[in-house]
Amino acid sequence: MRFHGFFLSIWLGTSCLTAADREGERLFALKVRGILNAKCLACHGEAGKKLKGDLDLSSRAAMLKGGESEEASLVPGKPLASPLYLAATREHEEDWSAMPPKENDKLTADQLAVLKRWIDLGAPWPDAKKQARYIAEERAKPVTAEGVLVKTSGGTSEDWTYRRYKPEDVWAFQPVVKPKVPQGAANPVDAFINRKLKSAGFARAPQADFRTLVKRAYYDLTGLPPTPFEIFQFRQAWDKDPVQAWAALIDRLLASPHYGERWGQHWLDVARYADTGGYSNDYERSNMWRYRDYVIRAFNDDKPYDEFIREQIAGDELADASLRRRINNWNQFQNARQNGKLYNAREAEQLVASSFLRMGPWDPAMVKSPQARQIYLDDVVNAVGETFLSTTMRCFKCHDHKFDPLPTRDYYRMYAVFEPTQLAERPTPFFEAENRAGFKEGQATTQHLLSFATDKHNALYNKQESAAREWYTKAGTKYLDEKARQKLPDEEKPPRHVGLSPEEQGRKKVRRQDEWIWQRRLERYQPMAQSVYNGPVPNFLNARKLRMNARANNKWRPDSRILGGGALEAPGAKVTPGVLSALGVPVAGAEQADAFQIPDALDGRRLALANWIANPANPITARSIVNRVWQKHFGQPLAANPNNFGAKGGKPTHPELLDWLAADFVEHGWKFKRLHRLIMLSATYRQSGTHPQAAELAVADPNNHLFAFRAPRRLSAEELRDSLLKATGELNPAIGGLPVMPEINMEVALQPRMIQFSLSPAYQPSRTPAERNRRTIYAYRVRGQANPFLETFNQPNPNDSCEARVAETVTPQVFTLLNSSVMSDRAIALALRTEKEFDTLHLQVKHAVQLAYGRVPDKVEWERLKQYITKMRAYHAAHEPAPVKYPTAIKRSLVEELTGQPFEYEEILPVFENYVHDKKPADVSANTRALADLCLLLFNSNEFVYVY
Amino acid sequence: MNRRNFLYNLNGGLGALAMTDLLAKEAAGPLAPKKPMHAPKAKNVIMLFMEGGPGQMDTFDPKPKLNALHKTESKSTRGLETGFKFYVGSPFKSRKVGQAGLEMSDQWQHLPEVADELCNYRGCTAESLNHPEALFHMNTGSRLGADPALGAWVNYGLGTVNQNLPGYVVMTELALPQGGSRNWSNGFLPGHFQGTRLRPTGSPILDLHAPAHKTREHQRAALDELAFLNQRHAAKHPGHADLATRMESYELAYRMQAEVPGVIDLKGEPEHVREAYGMNRKETAEFGRQCLMARRLVEKGVRFVQIFSGGWDSHDYLERGHASRIRSVDQPMTTLIKDLKERGMLDDTLVIWTGEFGRTPDNNKRGGVYSLGRGHNADAMTMLLAGGGVKRGAIVGATDEIGAKAVEVAHPIRDLHVTLLHLLGLDDNNLTYFHAGRYKQLSQFGGQVIKELIA
Repeated sequence: MRFHGFFLSIWLGTSCLTAADREGERLFALKVRGILNAKCLACHGEAGKKLKGDLDLSSRAAMLKGGESEEASLVPGKPLASPLYLAATREHEEDWSAMPPKENDKLTADQLAVLKRWIDLGAPWPDAKKQARYIAEERAKPVTAEGVLVKTSGGTSEDWTYRRYKPEDVWAFQPVVKPKVPQGAANPVDAFINRKLKSAGFARAPQADFRTLVKRAYYDLTGLPPTPFEIFQFRQAWDKDPVQAWAALIDRLLASPHYGERWGQHWLDVARYADTGGYSNDYERSNMWRYRDYVIRAFNDDKPYDEFIREQIAGDELADASLRRRINNWNQFQNARQNGKLYNAREAEQLVASSFLRMGPWDPAMVKSPQARQIYLDDVVNAVGETFLSTTMRCFKCHDHKFDPLPTRDYYRMYAVFEPTQLAERPTPFFEAENRAGFKEGQATTQHLLSFATDKHNALYNKQESAAREWYTKAGTKYLDEKARQKLPDEEKPPRHVGLSPEEQGRKKVRRQDEWIWQRRLERYQPMAQSVYNGPVPNFLNARKLRMNARANNKWRPDSRILGGGALEAPGAKVTPGVLSALGVPVAGAEQADAFQIPDALDGRRLALANWIANPANPITARSIVNRVWQKHFGQPLAANPNNFGAKGGKPTHPELLDWLAADFVEHGWKFKRLHRLIMLSATYRQSGTHPQAAELAVADPNNHLFAFRAPRRLSAEELRDSLLKATGELNPAIGGLPVMPEINMEVALQPRMIQFSLSPAYQPSRTPAERNRRTIYAYRVRGQANPFLETFNQPNPNDSCEARVAETVTPQVFTLLNSSVMSDRAIALALRTEKEFDTLHLQVKHAVQLAYGRVPDKVEWERLKQYITKMRAYHAAHEPAPVKYPTAIKRSLVEELTGQPFEYEEILPVFENYVHDKKPADVSANTRALADLCLLLFNSNEFVYVY
Repeated sequence: MNRRNFLYNLNGGLGALAMTDLLAKEAAGPLAPKKPMHAPKAKNVIMLFMEGGPGQMDTFDPKPKLNALHKTESKSTRGLETGFKFYVGSPFKSRKVGQAGLEMSDQWQHLPEVADELCNYRGCTAESLNHPEALFHMNTGSRLGADPALGAWVNYGLGTVNQNLPGYVVMTELALPQGGSRNWSNGFLPGHFQGTRLRPTGSPILDLHAPAHKTREHQRAALDELAFLNQRHAAKHPGHADLATRMESYELAYRMQAEVPGVIDLKGEPEHVREAYGMNRKETAEFGRQCLMARRLVEKGVRFVQIFSGGWDSHDYLERGHASRIRSVDQPMTTLIKDLKERGMLDDTLVIWTGEFGRTPDNNKRGGVYSLGRGHNADAMTMLLAGGGVKRGAIVGATDEIGAKAVEVAHPIRDLHVTLLHLLGLDDNNLTYFHAGRYKQLSQFGGQVIKELIA
């Protein structure tokens, strides 16, 4: 941030002005003028507009004259006799109706005080020239009691451009200066945390025990619990040398491929990962899974964050620039882009990374193209701002930012960066690192579903056309097919849908939509990526099929403008592409005249933006990401709103620690694994969940902003499901690949769901347990249909970036955990596992508790749980469960929108024809069911769902 | 200390928010009843949502001029579609009904009986022309589909009377509306405020009951065993307040399992009531059942009930489509209003009938044929309000002479939302929640009360 550094020395005082006069004049010029403009003049003094109540407030003389009431609205020196003031207070309505009339427009207490003071001082009204001098004098001061100036590309008004900010509100815009680490602790994290703790009069909590620590580390780094054996191994090492054991554990977990799954999930929360596009059609984005795997790989490979930024914002530009270096001939280069075959693995990976720009919900169905583009651009600009710059961009789309130094011009400069960005599924070769298991079977199943839809559709089409033929025969004219006759006048062709009943018309539409859905699904298996390219806006937008036109007019440039009030109908001043000026970081290579501009070329805008974000001098980028990493280790971030570092976001509790971590992160190559080590090796991280002074802390620091102890947390939805599978031994630990379909509540799976013109097909789980029981990050994510289990446990809505998970306790969680078939299956699986591994009830109980809790039961628990199972054995011997059947086809019913009549059709569910279902109550003995009762309770208990 | 105080006072998990939002001001749980901000006119809401967008000119806002223009060319650029457009007159006759002379198309056979209870508002304007976004807008105040629904805000502001039932209940047809459960989401509000969907078939609330081979006694024994495990765990973690909350949620769930079936079991309703709600005729059975359920739920203290009824998106065959849709809701909603009135509940129950937007006066050819239907129209729509402090027997606002655009008492959806909150004793500007760095409100940036609607 730069303060206005120019000092003007203007002589304002004259010998005939008293200090009070000067104060009054100054107050008028700096404050009162603005209040009158904003609150009064629209009705009382706007040039060319009729005055309300004949009252003119645009000059002192007119104020003294008053309006209809024929009473002066201003009595200099006497605010309490001045109707201007009395009306504004809204407390004298019997005499003076409240002004401005709308409650929402009322003056703030500060504004009222200013008005009062000005009248007190005699209500002086300096001429325009003098006002300008007072203003210039004020603007020459970089810092005043009212705050600091921040230099930007300029707001829509001078008042905005020169407004002042409290320094603490613009902390994030100030350069990161690496602070000195306080004395007294080996680990810098501890040094900063201890200093604040100490000044608050507390010491940190003691270190947690080894069992708590090993569980904490496993969950934090992999999202999975340790097995009893892994706990045992750690204990042995810990007993030998705790310091060494802990460091080795962290290294081992960071090297685990599950690390990328856990931290990739955090990134996907922010990026809003989903496998479908949402809105009307909720079309599948068939290749999005490749992006999910890219993110997981990036964390596992410890990809530097600056590169991660560049690839996601400009991966396509990087790939094309790299390809261009190999292919000199322009035509050959364009052909190569269009068919994609020549991209090497690195370039393919970059194309996949650019899927980040495709992550928002978007469907142009029933939206005019310019609006559809605007919806996309607003979304992507906001996504980039929130994700990488912790800045909610929406807040200055319609006007200059209300609280932060972000002019609307800068919004539209970033908008212009993306204006040439067009969405497309681009040909992108698969590469070595990608998991392509299950392609063949998936393709066959999809083809089967597609053929079914096509056959049904064709039959109806043929029926219609044979009726059309009859019509033509009767009319004595030559038959034309549906497409050929479409444009003809009504008299010259058969009625629409001739020969089809309303039900058949409805079915035909459903089958057609199904064809589209399955055709799109087949694209999963094609070497394609949900990517982007630069070019003019295509003539026709349809989320069903978006393809690149490499040969589009590359001379085209968008007409980039500030949109007044965010409305396409109100284009204003032209803007060039550019960056956020308030950050004070110039664009590399930009001209001095405007250091925040990006060249107006078709290609390279996004790369320039990405380079600017990834510039080590950018004050927000590194703070933003280290804050997120901290948050995921401690449950709460240092700055409370990871997506909003502005004035309204929470201020950092430890600003120096945040800056130290940010600077250190950049200095050491933007590497995550190093940062994890630094944090996890600290004593702060190893603290116990209980503090000896808990009662005092509850009063002094109720939100644990001091990080005086370890706050426990409930497992996230994904951790919960993954932990269940790990405990039962069912988890298939494979990494990456096609989206998997876990079994979900069958009522939800088969429940119809409206999409445009039709119902979406039923949810069919993957056929075998091994395919279903993959980690949750691989579960198919549909915007229009949440997985009920995960949704209940607060999996975020992918329509909005999730800056922090919540974990409220609500009753549907109880229904899910106690009663759902998904949970019953897990309980039986754990029971079967323990029975397989141990013979006696005594050891089975021990093993079940150990697998669920990572510890053996104590004596009291052990005895009581055995008794419980014994009772339940008797119960289950007398209660026979019903077997479970899966349907291979279902009848669907839909109200045909054209006729308002319901119609039915059949949908096939081929996966259930040779489905390998999990063991159900009816498949196991009464004794197993009794043991499963215990397993279910273990999974429901607090010890299982909280990590300390 | 009573149970709920015990339950929620301990909860430190609300974190930083607790200092700044309404939850902190209430000693009892998040759904416990709260005092309104000003004297309310309504206490409960029943919202009948006609998904797809009913045509204003075919229901309550007749346009003789439009009928005269039937099948002549329209030059309007309104709506989405381009190409040749022609005007479509309403296939239905309209007539004045009730003492106040509300206008209704002749397809409404029953609704005239309660015409003098109704307020027909013709001034509301939407923004989005596609279904899910418009649905999100009407239901959550935002087109993005990530914000809290109206019912969630109302429960956040007022709580709910019956702690053993959800405060916000949603009923849909078998198929979810476009956008699905985002339409009744708690958004960024705590999960307690999420709409609970009563499912039309199968389990009314997902997994409400254990599988059939586990009896209630079995469940009780299991919960006792679970309490044993949890108590031992809690003893080791005395400072962890969430543990108690979570233990208590199992008991609450157990009570709900007992309470919910009683409320939703309509078997005990006398035959004449079922008949009156249209439950004995196929056409009206489903909506009739839902309307009766809505009345029972409100009676039991549920704050906000919403029913979605789809199929109003008549781009073609409007005559068949709208006639059938009107028949399916006409008798049930008429009976609902009568029933509420007879029970003295209409005064403090606000009933709203609306779609997500209105329809255009003109249409495109489809497949080259003059198709008699209408497109989506964000500039004009029609809605009914009844009870809860709104004017009785009134027409408020007007659309232009062909129903293309609201021209009198025209207000965006946010003003409607502000007005609904106002009737419930809530001030939109004060009903805020701190999220992602700013105080958010239903209207997004404030709005105004539509005074003309209020009695």
